[in-house]
Amino acid sequence: MKPATLVLRNVTRRRSRFAFTLLGITVGIASLVTLLSLGTGLEKEVRKQADVLGAHLVVTPKGWCAYEQISVLTGETLPEAIPDADVKRIASIKGVQALPYLTQRTAIENQPVPVVGILPGPMEVFKKWEVEKGDYRLDERGVVVGHGIAKQFKLFVDDVVALRGKDFRIRGILSEVGNRDDLAIYLDLPVAQELYGVGDKVSFISVKVDDISQIDKYILEIRNAANVAVVSDKQLLKSVLGIVGAVGNALQLIAAVAILAACFGIINTMMTAIYERRREIGILQAVGARRKTIFSLFLAESGFYGLAGGLLGVVVGFLFSYAAAPYISQNEFTAFLGSEQTVRLFDPAITLEALSFSVAVSILSGLYPAWKASRLSPVEAISYE
Amino acid sequence: MSDPIIRTEKLGKVYDNGYRTCALAEVDLEIEPYTFSCIMGPSGHGKSTLLHLLGGLDRPSSGDVYINGANLAGMTSDQLADFRNRTVGFVFQFFNLIPVLSVLENVQIASMLAGMPDREQKERAVRLLESLGLAEKAVARPNQLSGGQRQRVAVARALINDPDILMMDEPTGNLDSTSESELLDLICSLHGKGKTILVVTHSETVAARSQRIIRIRDGRIVSAEI
Repeated sequence: MKPATLVLRNVTRRRSRFAFTLLGITVGIASLVTLLSLGTGLEKEVRKQADVLGAHLVVTPKGWCAYEQISVLTGETLPEAIPDADVKRIASIKGVQALPYLTQRTAIENQPVPVVGILPGPMEVFKKWEVEKGDYRLDERGVVVGHGIAKQFKLFVDDVVALRGKDFRIRGILSEVGNRDDLAIYLDLPVAQELYGVGDKVSFISVKVDDISQIDKYILEIRNAANVAVVSDKQLLKSVLGIVGAVGNALQLIAAVAILAACFGIINTMMTAIYERRREIGILQAVGARRKTIFSLFLAESGFYGLAGGLLGVVVGFLFSYAAAPYISQNEFTAFLGSEQTVRLFDPAITLEALSFSVAVSILSGLYPAWKASRLSPVEAISYE
Repeated sequence: MSDPIIRTEKLGKVYDNGYRTCALAEVDLEIEPYTFSCIMGPSGHGKSTLLHLLGGLDRPSSGDVYINGANLAGMTSDQLADFRNRTVGFVFQFFNLIPVLSVLENVQIASMLAGMPDREQKERAVRLLESLGLAEKAVARPNQLSGGQRQRVAVARALINDPDILMMDEPTGNLDSTSESELLDLICSLHGKGKTILVVTHSETVAARSQRIIRIRDGRIVSAEI
C-alpha cells in the first residue's frame, strides 16, 4: 500500500462533504479562470482594435474621459462634439489625413448595432475595405454593412433596414476583416448627422500623419487649430488597457474572495476530518507514524482538493468564458469580446496558473489542520470516543 | 536469568487537567524476554497508563523505561515512532482498524510506515492473514468481519514488522467467549514462537493462561507473581 491510497480513501470517505468542498474550490477557480480568460481576450482584442483604427492620433472633444476613449475602439455611441469647422481646420494641416466619425446606435431585432457615419471615399482608402457583395455606395438612401452584421441578421444586398424610422437600402456588404468593422452599419456622414440631428458635429477624428517622427509637432498644430484634445494611438491604447486592467483587477479580487471562501471550506472540512478521525490518527501513531507523516498525509488531502477542484474549475471556467463571451459584449468594457475567436477554449498558461494557484492555496489552507493533527498525543487520540 | 526486555525505574505518571491525578507512582518492574505477562487490577488504577508508557505511546512524568536496554525517556518523538513501528506491536480492545481500508491494507499499514516496498508489504500481510485463517477476508472491509476476526486482523497488523514485544490492552474485552478462547490460543501460539507478550486485562481466563500476573492498585504494583 502507498500513502496515496490512504489519502484518496480518506478524502472520499464522506462523499457529500467531499463534493461540497470540491464544489467550493471549483467555483473559486472557475471564476478565476473565467476572468483570466476573458481578461486576456479583452487585452488582445483592445490591441487588435487599436491596430484596426489605423490612426496615429485620435482627436476627441476636450474633457473626454478614458471611458469615452474606449468607445473610440469599440464603436459604441458617443456624444457628438466636434464641429465640421474644426474637422476642416485639422484636415487642412499639411501632412495630416483626418477622418471624422459619428458613432451612434440602432437596434435590429432588439439587439444593439453600431451605426457609423463616415466619409465613404477617404474611409475606403484608409481602411482598405473590400466589398463582398453589391457596391460600396453610401448615399441618402443607401448604406453598407459589415460582414458580421449581415451574417448575424441574415441581411442581403437590396434588403431594407430602418434607422430612426427611415428606410435605407443595403447597397453592399463588406468582406470580412475579422474585427469590429465587421459589426457596424455605415452611413454617409452628412446623412448620419441629419438622421441623428447632430448638426455638423462628429464624435471624433482619427488622424494619420505623413511623418511619424514629427508626431509632437502635429499634436501641437492640431491643438492650435481647434479646441480639441489629441491623444496618440499609444496613449489611447495605454489608457484603455489601464481601465481594462483596473476592471480586470477588481474582478480578480472578487474571484479571490470566492477562492478565500473555498479555502475556509477546506480548513473546515479538514478540521472536521481530524475531529472525526482522531482515533485513527492515534492508531497511525501507535503503529509508527511520525509527526511529519501525519502532517504530510493531511496536507496531501488538502492538496488533493486543490488539484481536483482546480482541474474541474479550469474546465468549467474555460467553458463558461467561451460560452459567455458573446453575451457580455453589451458595454464599453466588454464590447471587444463581441468579436469572434477572442476567447480561447483552452489556454495552457492560464491552466497552469490556475492549477498551481489552486493547489498552493489548498495546501496553505491545509497547513493548520495538518499541524493540529500531527500534534495530537497518541494516547489521547487512541482513547478518544 | 537473561536481561529483562522491559525494565522500569521509579516510573511515575501524573495527569494535570486542572487537578492533579497520580496515575502511576514509583513503579519498578522487570519483564523477561519471551514471557507472557498480564497486568491486572481495578479500572482506573493505572494498568493502561503503564502499558502506554512501556509502549512509548506516552511519556512518563518521572522515572525511566528501558526496552532492550534503551531508555525511552531520552528518545525524540521520531525515535519513539520508529520504536513503536519496529519493536512493539499494539492490540487494543476496540480493534481500531481503519474503516476505509481493506483487511489486507490495514495489516500492511505499519510496514508501509516502515518504508517497506509495496510488494513485500503485500507478501508479508498475505502470509500473516493466511496463518491467522483470514486469507479469504483480505479484500473485505473491517465492518464486514466479526469481532473475533477484527481482533485477529489487529493482531496481524501488530505483527507485520515482526516486533519483539506484543502489547495488548483488554484484547478480549469486546469478544464473546468463543472468540476469546480462539484469541488466547493465538496469543499462546505467538508466545510459543518467541514473542514477549504483555496483556492488560480484567479477564481471569486470560490471566490463567499467562506465566506471570502483575497486579496494580492505586498506581502501584502490589504483586508481580510468577
